[in-house]
Amino acid sequence: MSDALLELKGLKKSYRGKPALRGIDLEVRPNEIFALLGPTGAGKSSTVQATAGLLDLDAGEIILDGRDVTDIDPAGRDLSIVFEGFNLLPVLNVFDNIAFALRSPSFREDEAEIRKRVQHTAELLRIAQHLDRDVNTLSGGEKQRVAIARALVRQPLMFLLDEPLSALDLKLREGLRSELRQIHREQNSTMLYATHDYHGAISIADRIGVINHGRILQSGTIEEIFERPANAFVGRLIGSPAMAFFDAALDGDDIRIKGCEQILPAGQFALRSNIRGEFELGVWPEDIRITDAGSGASSASVYAVDNRGFECAVQIDYGAGLFRKVLEEGQLLKQGETCGFRIADGAGFLFDKSSGERVSHQIEGAR
Amino acid sequence: MAAVTQPRSAYLTRWFILALLAAYTFYNLGPILWLLVSSFKGRADLFAMPPVWIFDIDTSGYESVFGVGAAAGTASAYGVVDALINSVVVSSIGTVMAVFLGTLAGYVCSRYDFRGKGDFLFFVLSTRMLPPVAVLVFYHLMFARLGLADTRTGLVLVAIFANVGLATWIMKGFFDGVPKEVEQIAQVNGYSRMYAFIRLVVPMVRGGIAATAGFCFIFAWNEFAFASILTTTKAKTLPVKISAASGATGIEWTQIMSAGVVLIIPVLIFFYLIRKHLLMGMTFGVLGRS
Repeated sequence: MSDALLELKGLKKSYRGKPALRGIDLEVRPNEIFALLGPTGAGKSSTVQATAGLLDLDAGEIILDGRDVTDIDPAGRDLSIVFEGFNLLPVLNVFDNIAFALRSPSFREDEAEIRKRVQHTAELLRIAQHLDRDVNTLSGGEKQRVAIARALVRQPLMFLLDEPLSALDLKLREGLRSELRQIHREQNSTMLYATHDYHGAISIADRIGVINHGRILQSGTIEEIFERPANAFVGRLIGSPAMAFFDAALDGDDIRIKGCEQILPAGQFALRSNIRGEFELGVWPEDIRITDAGSGASSASVYAVDNRGFECAVQIDYGAGLFRKVLEEGQLLKQGETCGFRIADGAGFLFDKSSGERVSHQIEGAR
Repeated sequence: MAAVTQPRSAYLTRWFILALLAAYTFYNLGPILWLLVSSFKGRADLFAMPPVWIFDIDTSGYESVFGVGAAAGTASAYGVVDALINSVVVSSIGTVMAVFLGTLAGYVCSRYDFRGKGDFLFFVLSTRMLPPVAVLVFYHLMFARLGLADTRTGLVLVAIFANVGLATWIMKGFFDGVPKEVEQIAQVNGYSRMYAFIRLVVPMVRGGIAATAGFCFIFAWNEFAFASILTTTKAKTLPVKISAASGATGIEWTQIMSAGVVLIIPVLIFFYLIRKHLLMGMTFGVLGRS
């Protein structure tokens, strides 16, 4: 596909022999927000920095707007970047920080135009009253607004946001996130948004790339990822609560689950004929029904209850492990209570025990 | 006393701290005060015991030191002006060069990885580990062969060499405190790395530069061992000159005291000039991360 605005092909980078990127492949399409979701140390920041040209890559190619920019200086890439913590140059005031790019050799504008654009952008982010201030006197939220203003003021090809809201408290974060979304819609901009926060990613992104150990495990819309998670790790990171995992083994035509009475027919998983042995069975909690004990259901007990007022999440102990689930409306469970659960027909995915790769193919089979 | 609302113990603690500070201040400033007073005393008053506090002001020490007044043109003209100029020239140029080189080297060591970086940093520090006495003979021979003996150029080189390692280490510490995002922001927004270094990073560590310059200047100004061996007449620095102030009539204490005051003044002027940046640098904080 060549309609991507940004294409990363096989990016590799090691720091002192420790690989940080082991072959990153991803595409960001025009006018979308692409969230790079992964835990700390997964390679999110390295990917963003490589895109910006701030990293000397060991291997790989970066195509930006149809142009190979792999060896181009950061200044020649026409990108904007917002970091997590340190964004503002302490030797400049708020106005000069926002105007910073517009005075550079690469993106110079005349002063009247700069004044107009800075004023407009500052109003958009509601920081116009702070333009004369020293950046060291700003609060954390104000600082990030100024940083976003500096990124916006130039209208670059694309925005790189590296955990831009992670240092802020929850309320500020949610507010600024929806503002970003709003600005994105008005300006038709393209963003690569790195975050470790699942909720943050799904609420802002059009598509998500799950990254771990320097590789993109899967990218797609959140619906696509739910429909066919590529890897057990994706299941652990996605969902709230995340996927429930069980030890499972293929026994003739049956899938037997450790600690559970329920037996699943192997046929529903469309396993390749050469696949056998033990797996990890991953099931979205929404596909598990908590029932009364007995009548073919697996027996379990309630390990912990987390009542959030509008909904109630429980942790279920099925003997061989635990999983979390939000209860259906009207259902009530107490801590220590015995119960049963059933995995819905056709639900669940089988993952290889060592690589985490999905080995079941029921969705593809159905199509 | 009704006005005292503090408990008695806090009151005592306060006085105790004040007394300690007063003692410390006296310990530090006492000798300087004595030096200042003594520099205006005649020979008889100088050694009077108990010390006399009211005495006829005798400026012969200063006249002799600067070769003016009654001492002008006579054999008792002690003439430290040349030595003072030597000291100022050697210390200033040595400090500027050491700080300049140390700033560049410190920045590179802070920001870039290169083969043998650890060894390099150890090496530049190791130049300060040797006691000067251990290498003086070799310096003496080398300088004689190179024609650097008894020259300011030679002493400037010594001052640079002795300080550049320290300057590199201190400056590396300050650059480590500057987030690497500063250069990254500049680069992404269309500037060169050189611009980022000169216009953004260096202003952020100006306190560190001032502190480093302070250290280097003190070391260079007070340097005695090298200067005493490597100079004979022309390039003598002030500390060397003062140590040799014994005339035909014994040790000229009044002259030594006056020259001592002259030795202190440039240091005071230097620190007065950099005082604004210094406070920031001495705390070793660059700028709070946001």
